[in-house]
Amino acid sequence: MKLLTHNLLSSHVRGVGPRGFPLRLQATEVRISPVEFNPDFVARMIPKLHLVEVPKGPIEGYEHDEKFLRQMHHVLLEVDVLEGTLQCPESGRLFPISRGIPNMLLSDEETET
Amino acid sequence: MLKKLKSAERLFLLIKKQFPLNVSSVSKGKIFNEMQRLVNDDPESWMSAISIWKNLLELDAKKDKLSQRDANPLKRKIEENDITNPKKLKTEQMQELQESRQCQLEKQMEEETVEQGDFLTNREKSQEAFQNDVVKAVDTPDQKDLTFRVSCRCSGAIAKTFTGQEVGRVIGIALMKQYGWKADLRNPNLEIFIHLNDIYSVVGIPVFRVPLASRAYIKTAGLRSTIAWAMASLAEIKAGAFVLDPMCGLGTILLEAAKEWPDVYYVGADVSDSQLLGACDNLKAAGLQDKIELLKVSVIELPLPSESVDTIISDIPFGKKFKLGKDIKNILQEMERVLHVGGTIVLLLSEDHHKHLQDCEQSGIPLNSKGSHTDEPGIEKCLNHGEKTDLSDTVSSSSEAISQGGLDKMPPFGSLVPMECYQVSLGRTDAFIYKYRKSHSLGLLQPGSSRPRAAAQQGRRLSWDPDRAPESQGNRLP
Repeated sequence: MKLLTHNLLSSHVRGVGPRGFPLRLQATEVRISPVEFNPDFVARMIPKLHLVEVPKGPIEGYEHDEKFLRQMHHVLLEVDVLEGTLQCPESGRLFPISRGIPNMLLSDEETET
Repeated sequence: MLKKLKSAERLFLLIKKQFPLNVSSVSKGKIFNEMQRLVNDDPESWMSAISIWKNLLELDAKKDKLSQRDANPLKRKIEENDITNPKKLKTEQMQELQESRQCQLEKQMEEETVEQGDFLTNREKSQEAFQNDVVKAVDTPDQKDLTFRVSCRCSGAIAKTFTGQEVGRVIGIALMKQYGWKADLRNPNLEIFIHLNDIYSVVGIPVFRVPLASRAYIKTAGLRSTIAWAMASLAEIKAGAFVLDPMCGLGTILLEAAKEWPDVYYVGADVSDSQLLGACDNLKAAGLQDKIELLKVSVIELPLPSESVDTIISDIPFGKKFKLGKDIKNILQEMERVLHVGGTIVLLLSEDHHKHLQDCEQSGIPLNSKGSHTDEPGIEKCLNHGEKTDLSDTVSSSSEAISQGGLDKMPPFGSLVPMECYQVSLGRTDAFIYKYRKSHSLGLLQPGSSRPRAAAQQGRRLSWDPDRAPESQGNRLP
């Protein structure tokens, strides 16, 4: 699971509102693998991110800042969490990550409306 | 190069096409004579088709040689003798030839037979140019040594009098007499394909041994890849989009999409471990594991904020191979929730789902009777035709498109406005491709299920809006 994906997930446990984001990530096995750098793609992903803290400093024109884009590229796309857990910050529910795939299936009781 | 036709099913070199054989009052013997005339009457078209076929074969074999040369010089000797090995034609080494002509074949959802005229003569010209570059001449089988097989399909009135086998036999014998070829049912050099029905009689040579639907980059296909590609192309995938397949199975749709539109963020989800493992394998085999992410989640409980996805494409399980535990309505509702306003959903539905949706009309958005803009020439054709496409070269088999009639039966679903509807054949069953667009937001609070985006986003001061950047204005990736 790449960190880009982690950023786009939110908790769907019943009754959890906006505080179901972000899911706390605990990684036990991580793989860093090179991915071809595509500045255009990274630049387009950035507005989609749910940034909890807006970084201070120059934001305008980030799409031309190659160094910044390369850093984001590395963080978002080259870090792959193979094993670990995601935790809903509000309910505490844990979701395991195994072989790079997070398992976020809720049990039947949990999906009860 | 021809393999880039992503939603064509089979490709033929046309030898003959004419009006259907008259079966009504004539004796069987006479009809047999007519069939023989298909073979004997016009040796020129036969010869030219066969020489083109041979050229294509040589072209492929030479391509293999070129690529083999880089690989292993020892192997080359063995390959030379295997020119007519059918597997060669399926080879994964389709190199980009420096051909001057463009292959302007339309990407339609119907099966196509290649029009002889432009395509084939251009091919020959480019082959001459190409042959100057090639080092060795290839041993093609001599005219007399050709082994062949006839495949015949009959439908309509003629099928009541003849079986495919009978016709095949008659044609086969005629060919043997005319050209001296030998019949080989197991592994022929040349396959002759005949299709007789109420609309036309067509004779052709299949260009590829293996159907175009079998892709080199897909290890295990779930959904038929031609349909998967067609769905992806309907979905208006733009660069930088977030595309989700919430019931991805083995990931066929995402694979086809990622191959064609690479600068996109793809996520596939499924509840089944075995399917996800298969999908993982497929991704690795295709080299697309960095482009497609997988999640184990349920489609009615998507761990995604509302309005965070740009495009959803999915093949809804029909209930035959995989059980659909949930109602189609719940599924659509959750998809609707996570979709951006203006985003598109493309679904493959069974007849049952189709009926189900018609019955449960959700609250009223008036039906768009005309779909809005379409990008693809092929699809636009479908919407404008009043009836099925005519005598133009379609050998009907897998996919047929039905036009606006289908659209009238599509009810809106909440804020999802139906745009297009196509009936397609998956072989034994029929299915429907539905395309929706989300027309408006669902409102911030829905009991239980809506999760508005993190409030912190309001603090964003990013100035660049990809949706307004000129290059992404309503265009798909080329």
